Amino acid sequence: MFEALSYGFVQRALIGGGLLALFSGIISVFVVLRRISFLGSGIAHAAFGGVAIGFISGINPLLSAILYSLLISYGIEAVSTRGRIAEDTAIGIFFTASMALGIVLIGISRKYNVDLFGYLFGSILAITHEEALIGSVVIIFLIILIILISKELYLITFNEELAFVSGIKIRLIKSVFFISMAVAIVLGIKLVGIILISALLVIPGATAHLLTKRIVRMIILSCVIALASVTGGIFLSFYFNLPTGGTISLLLAVFFFMAFLLQRLLRDGN
Amino acid sequence: MNAIEIEGLSYSIGNKEVLKDINLTLQEGRFLGIVGPNGGGKTTLLKIILGILKPSTGTVRIKGDSPINAIKKGLMGYLPQALRIDLNFPATSINVVLTGLYGEIGYMRFPSRPHYEMAMEALRTMGMEELAFEIFGNLSAGQQQRVLAARALVGHPEILILDEPSTGIDVVGQEDFYHLLKRLQKRLNLTIIMVSHDIGALTGYVDEMACLNRTLHYHGSPVHALTEDVLSRLYGRKVDIMLHSDACEKCARLKRE
Repeated sequence: MFEALSYGFVQRALIGGGLLALFSGIISVFVVLRRISFLGSGIAHAAFGGVAIGFISGINPLLSAILYSLLISYGIEAVSTRGRIAEDTAIGIFFTASMALGIVLIGISRKYNVDLFGYLFGSILAITHEEALIGSVVIIFLIILIILISKELYLITFNEELAFVSGIKIRLIKSVFFISMAVAIVLGIKLVGIILISALLVIPGATAHLLTKRIVRMIILSCVIALASVTGGIFLSFYFNLPTGGTISLLLAVFFFMAFLLQRLLRDGN
Repeated sequence: MNAIEIEGLSYSIGNKEVLKDINLTLQEGRFLGIVGPNGGGKTTLLKIILGILKPSTGTVRIKGDSPINAIKKGLMGYLPQALRIDLNFPATSINVVLTGLYGEIGYMRFPSRPHYEMAMEALRTMGMEELAFEIFGNLSAGQQQRVLAARALVGHPEILILDEPSTGIDVVGQEDFYHLLKRLQKRLNLTIIMVSHDIGALTGYVDEMACLNRTLHYHGSPVHALTEDVLSRLYGRKVDIMLHSDACEKCARLKRE
């Protein structure tokens, strides 16, 4: 355990991954309660298009992915609220179109040496000093922001009309939430990759929801589960030479099924 | 002063006219019941008064102000018909009531002790104190209604707007609820607007009755709302109404028969 800690890249992975775990732990609660898991996973896949645009244009791929994801989430909302298209349909269209765009762009660029694999499956152990520093500052800022709007977010999630009559600026709060979610998704790509990012967005909140019906406890539990999976996954992958993103996601799934069984046992016991 | 003034209001979705040419004035401190068939536009009218929906034509004034400004001033408390939240939503009764103070508490601040005391007081008023720490989703429909009423009242609004659920609440419990509202109306000089399906049960409690089916077929004293002429216009055919009071002529007639 202590041997791993002496490596700079493990330290960076633990700090960056740990902060991201806390952040996605909070976000996950609202993703689960608002039932927008599919939106989260759709935005993550769409981010691949943004990554490819970054490769082609020379912009930092994470930055272009964040901007592109925001554009896509607004696109999904615009099409599904103004048009006559259901939201899940809009998500399905935008996410496949964006992935297709990414595949075609990367095909044109002929830069197969780019670490595409890292974006699809995560590369937290390859995180640089600069990325760790900027990422950590951004995540700490977002954690504070999301805590500051958590009261309003909770009420909007409970019932939007009640929130409206209470004078809450629903559009503003939702925008801040979606921007935070998009940033969490794109930074999470570094940690577990596009394919597995849904695990971080959905499983911590879903697991916590099985174990408690008190909101504050649910948020804390969700953060603990995310943190345990991310740090555990980094250590396990280091010692057993496993893919980090896959290990983290599997640990999350293990926590979920343990909670599921525990909850069944407790309920049957009553 | 008038609590509510509605002039020439209509509301359409696409080509479908949901509300047509509504004019309605309600004085401060009055209890208005709105009745009418399902799909008659009752909930839509409430949502327009609350500013949730914008009318296609016409104006709504709440104490002389627009609904949006009235909301900013915290003038209105709202109890929606159905919440469509799942049983497992992580909220206790007191959590739900506290959300009624979120606007007042303001952004980037959190509820503190006085807010908890206000929430407890509101729950006590509705007789729900003992269920303060129960999970909201586990309560019966009637209990949820009382918790939501406590939520609507906790911020001390001047106008209380209630949309009664059509199912899941027993008659006896509902009459107690009306009783409670009536007492609150007197004590706090509240203006109350309540949408209900049960015209008979409501009659004994409201000061005024409005009968709505796309347009207002009647607005006035509750007893005169029960004439066969008004009711057949409202529901499109002849209906029998059972009053839950001694004033029920039909019931007496039925008893005689």
